[in-house]
Amino acid sequence: MRLCSDTELQELMSAISADDGTEIALVDRSLALFPDDARLHFLRGSLLAGIGRPIEALASLKSAVELAPDFSIARFQLGFFQLTSGEAADALSTWGPLALLPEGHYLRTFVGGLTYLIRDEFPQAIEQLRIGIAANAENLPLNRDMQLIIDRVGDIADQPGPGDETASATSFLLGQFGNGRPN
Amino acid sequence: MKAARETGLDLVLDPQRAEASLWRRALYEDDVNSRETLFNRYLLLARSVAARQFSRRRRAVDRGDLEHLAYEGLLQAIDRYDPLKGVPFGAYARPRIAGSVADGMRQMTEVDAQITQRRRIQRERLRTLSDPRAAAADPLNALADLVVDLALGLMLEGTGMIEPDGGADRRPSAYEGLAWRQTQAALAAALEKLPPGEQTVIRQHYQTGLSFAHIADLLRLSRGRVSQLHKSAVERLRRWLRHY
Repeated sequence: MRLCSDTELQELMSAISADDGTEIALVDRSLALFPDDARLHFLRGSLLAGIGRPIEALASLKSAVELAPDFSIARFQLGFFQLTSGEAADALSTWGPLALLPEGHYLRTFVGGLTYLIRDEFPQAIEQLRIGIAANAENLPLNRDMQLIIDRVGDIADQPGPGDETASATSFLLGQFGNGRPN
Repeated sequence: MKAARETGLDLVLDPQRAEASLWRRALYEDDVNSRETLFNRYLLLARSVAARQFSRRRRAVDRGDLEHLAYEGLLQAIDRYDPLKGVPFGAYARPRIAGSVADGMRQMTEVDAQITQRRRIQRERLRTLSDPRAAAADPLNALADLVVDLALGLMLEGTGMIEPDGGADRRPSAYEGLAWRQTQAALAAALEKLPPGEQTVIRQHYQTGLSFAHIADLLRLSRGRVSQLHKSAVERLRRWLRHY
């Protein structure tokens, strides 16, 4: 399996940040060279999610996790994508292997919090999400997103209807991508 | 902290992704439930297109007939829609539904216009419910059963699960007796207990007013199977509500 080098990946990221509407084509070009690189599929999925192409985004995120089952951040994000698509059962199933992360790992804790959220157990959800935020020093955009969910649970009575946190969830995918190497 | 109607899942749900998930499951994974959810979601669009055409009609035509043509257009649009093209379904479907209604109206003969779709559906229902073998064996009993079944149909149309045209008043009229209303309430509760397939057929037939052919198309079943589900649902309801 041939993977994209760190330098090539950095170049690709710089080209994408130019934001001239060709980002998917750029990733596809790299994917043609490195079809088994889970990071490229994850990147593609994140970009597609950001531009409102959810069906293709899901397929790319799934490819990333299939290629690298231990790529924890991709697995977390795939589950989060499924959750925000209303597919809670699929999300829980995707997140299953994250239970094998060390106790206290922020992703495992976030999954715990979101699982409480799915069950409408709000106080426990907030508690776990807060613990996860405190434990997470490497993916700060993720903390921001979890905080948005906490806030949303807090003022649900004042703000009926779906919130903005999912849009933000999409946008932060790219920001944390650099930290998301398969482990 | 939590509004009664909002769940934890609601909090994080992204409507665009949720809709995309329905399309993915309906079109690429052959999930009939998602197909039905989408149909129900866009039913009002179909009805509004039918209402618009009805207001522009140039000859006598039944509004229910136009709605059926609109449902047909909606089902076709669901089958042909490509969610990957990025066009919202409403924008894609509206002209197609309008086309289906306009074409149907053009092809409608004077006789068609007189025999309304509603009447055709009632005939179809009667055919499904009457059992010639039972009638031959015990005509009086078969007739009694049929009368009860047809009365159940009338009640199902008035259980409040049906969305009335123009937001008509659903409150019971002075003509509705207490017994009738009690039976209706019991019937609404019994509906919830029907097996899923039977419940869907009953709801789509009496609630939406879909013909068996349209239900068959919607649920990817044969028309015979839909008739069968309808018959067994009505018989089940009759058994459950025997003491009323």
